[in-house]
Amino acid sequence: MLSALQNPRQAAAQLLNFGLILSTAFMMWKGLSVISDSPSPIVVVLSGSMEPAFQRGDLLFLWNRNLMEETKVGEIVVYNVKGKDIPIVHRLVRKFGVGEQAKLLTKGDNNLADDTELYAKGQDYIERQDIIGSVVAYIPFVGYVTILLSEHPWLKTVMLGLMGLVVVLQRE
Amino acid sequence: MHSTIVRGQNVFGFFTSVCFFVAALIAASDLLAPRTPKATVSVKDVQVVRGRPHYYSTKKEEYAVIRFSLSADLSSLFTWNTKQVFVYVSASWPNSTLGEDGKGELVNEAVIWDSIITNPSADHLQNIGPAAMKKLVKSSKGKKIDPSRGKLELKNQKAKYQITSPTGKLAETDNVVLKVHYNVQPWVGVLTWTPQIEFGMWKKVKGGVSKVFKFPALKAKKEAEKKKA
Repeated sequence: MLSALQNPRQAAAQLLNFGLILSTAFMMWKGLSVISDSPSPIVVVLSGSMEPAFQRGDLLFLWNRNLMEETKVGEIVVYNVKGKDIPIVHRLVRKFGVGEQAKLLTKGDNNLADDTELYAKGQDYIERQDIIGSVVAYIPFVGYVTILLSEHPWLKTVMLGLMGLVVVLQRE
Repeated sequence: MHSTIVRGQNVFGFFTSVCFFVAALIAASDLLAPRTPKATVSVKDVQVVRGRPHYYSTKKEEYAVIRFSLSADLSSLFTWNTKQVFVYVSASWPNSTLGEDGKGELVNEAVIWDSIITNPSADHLQNIGPAAMKKLVKSSKGKKIDPSRGKLELKNQKAKYQITSPTGKLAETDNVVLKVHYNVQPWVGVLTWTPQIEFGMWKKVKGGVSKVFKFPALKAKKEAEKKKA
């Protein structure tokens, strides 16, 4: 028990190992971000407004490059609204014009009305720059743990404690 | 080396690897299922009327009220990995300023009608009333996959969304066209839309584009009043 604490060399090695795991995860995230040109290449669905396509906790992979063609009507996009920090996943239903200045309107499949009400005050449409990516791939349910963590903050403490305990107690 | 924690970690690690491998196989199986959708869409009636975006608005805009007929066979899109198929009909039209050469680029597009068709395996996720749900579940009882749901036959269907443009002007626009699109939502894997090019066993939609039509001039006010009376 707690042999690691008595052996500083081993303790240091374990600390480095832990740092390595963290930095690898960070590098993969940032690498994916560069490839997809999106500040957040993987997002977790937080609301039921796209049901039955997406449920809460589903994992979405985003792509934010227009290699072949422009972002078009029918695509499911993730966008940010000025003044709100939670990105929204909805379907593009109208597009007026082309290029960066095109006026875009979104709507959730499960919502009756379009998103005009969700936009900032006086804003009727979003633009291409508001979009942080289009959904290209889907894995169900895997992201639910992040919803649990944000809804029950004490779970974070428990998880961090457990991880710390494992690191300290591990001999290898 | 052989502590409980290490064993637990190994079991969990193996479990997640197997899960992801199986998920990847299921996702890849989509490529083996041929897709041969067909669709015919035609405009039945177009009117342009003036209206307000919502009750309290003082702004008057022109809205296109469209009726169309759609006959589609999307049954090949339903496989074991299909969660839902999202079908939508859009209207596209060029900008009035662009169309000097007769036919401008279709730079405006708006969805006028859409529908969510779930595979029976995803019926329980639909947000519909209990009566409609009962009917839906009964319609393909005992089936996990029901390709017959992909057959659509709409006659003189009213558009779900009345479309306008940011300028509020829509009347007397030429070269408008209706297009049918779909989006296949899988249980796991890659989302797919109406393909622009043929890809392996996935064919392009046969048909799916209406004849070119125009948004007519505004209906005379008298006529509208007569209709109300």
